[in-house]
Amino acid sequence: MAMATDIGEAKKQTAAPPAPKRRPRNSTGRLRIMAYQVAVLIAIVAVWQIGLWTGTLKPYVYGTPWGVMQAFAEQIANGTLLRHFWVTGQEVIIGFVIGCSLGSLCGLMLWLSPLWAKILHPYMIALNGVPKIALAPLIIVWFGLGMESKIAIAAIITFIVAFLQAYKGTQEVDQDLIRLMKSLGATQWQTFRKIVMPGSVPWIVSALRLNVGFALIGAVVGEYISAEEGLGYMVYYAGQLYDLDSVWVGIFSLMFMALILEAVVARIEKMLDMEK
Amino acid sequence: MSIGQETVLEANEARVVYNEDSDNPVEAVRSISLDLRKGEVLALVGPSGCGKTTLFNAIAGLIPLQGGRVSVGGIEVEKASGHVGYMLQKDLLLPWRSVIDNVTLGLEVRGKPKGEAKKIAQELIERYGLGGFEHSKPSGLSGGMRQRVALMRTLAFEPEVILLDEPFSALDFQTRILLQSDVKRIIREEGKSVILITHDIGEAISMANRIVVLTNRPATVKTVHEVPWGDEVTDPVAVRDRPEYQEMFSTIWQELELTNGQQGKTMKGAA
Repeated sequence: MAMATDIGEAKKQTAAPPAPKRRPRNSTGRLRIMAYQVAVLIAIVAVWQIGLWTGTLKPYVYGTPWGVMQAFAEQIANGTLLRHFWVTGQEVIIGFVIGCSLGSLCGLMLWLSPLWAKILHPYMIALNGVPKIALAPLIIVWFGLGMESKIAIAAIITFIVAFLQAYKGTQEVDQDLIRLMKSLGATQWQTFRKIVMPGSVPWIVSALRLNVGFALIGAVVGEYISAEEGLGYMVYYAGQLYDLDSVWVGIFSLMFMALILEAVVARIEKMLDMEK
Repeated sequence: MSIGQETVLEANEARVVYNEDSDNPVEAVRSISLDLRKGEVLALVGPSGCGKTTLFNAIAGLIPLQGGRVSVGGIEVEKASGHVGYMLQKDLLLPWRSVIDNVTLGLEVRGKPKGEAKKIAQELIERYGLGGFEHSKPSGLSGGMRQRVALMRTLAFEPEVILLDEPFSALDFQTRILLQSDVKRIIREEGKSVILITHDIGEAISMANRIVVLTNRPATVKTVHEVPWGDEVTDPVAVRDRPEYQEMFSTIWQELELTNGQQGKTMKGAA
């Protein structure tokens, strides 16, 4: 127990299991919210455009909404945007799946060996504290310049987060439940399967949420360092050329990707919740 | 079901010390000898922190004894093996399982086939008034209902002895009284032998056949009281109307006062 709290204190990125969401009261309420959401977007673009008209914002520093749309149309037409999007998307998804599944599995399994948990404790604190992106240059050296290295960065970062969260989840399982299972004569494996694994699900799911962001950071930073395709490469390259309209196109594409992935994770979360 | 002569649980000078090999060992239970007859309800009352729960853990085989012995069904307890059923203040229901799947937990652990386990659970659920809720999640039940499910989980795998560790103390007054009478009826019907830990003297007198008063930590047996009405009066509310109830209540109250007083003195002495 003492150990669990130690890790808890050292942990900055862990999130508590998400509270159950409130259902929108009715569909008109939802529609109204959507209308406001669109209005916020329009307002941002309007402020941007007015800033440009009045000369407060310089087009060569901030880009222009119209320029962004032109760049977007152009890159859709010649297929480059889709290609970059697809490359980064694959890196993120493959890295995310590998990292989250292996990380959660290892974190859970560590419950089975308190001895190894104790041995690994300082390493876990160190891994948790280090800015994981600092590992990126090493991984590029190890895995080369292609997609593999970006997948590896995304996978390793998400592995660490998933591992720590899953292990924390096992430590948060009510000790009285474990005592109850013991009193029933349960084996350690039975306790693991019936109590610890399902009990850790909220923590694993919250790690998935965190890891959408981490997988994107991993892939994009990998592309910044060295790549020939991908949205990160596109943003970086356009930035070097002061082509800010293309930079915005890249950023918006990344936001769009994050939204899709979040929606997928939310779906998974719902499925797991139904099973509950 | 009346109380038999057969002893199902016996503790002989049981002693529990935490951190025995360290510099400051903590003696939680000094020496406790008691016996539980088949079909009997034995209540343990004592000042808080006196080592009651430690004794429970030892009986369940969750912690080792440093002296004496505990046997259940004539077999010495060496490790946890499902010979006792546990019920705590927390119902410890698994939120991700439905009511029926919570009830089958102990049976699953024992390797009972799923179909059979479900049948046993279904029967219990219907017999004790939770029919229709078998597929609900615990989060949708009231505190009293949840405790009832916990009791069924305990009954389902038919342990020889049931240990109740303040099972009603988190409930509101009315639910508590209702559940006390329900639980008393159920354990009578099932012929279960029960040890009940409680702070509540009234609960002890109204539910138990015998009441063991414990001293402060390290715990020993101070006195044993037998309720005079035996199995005649089973309704815990009706019991409270008996003249002997008041008498017994104040006797036990004074005994507990006395131990608390002593504790106060020793604490002052230590300071």
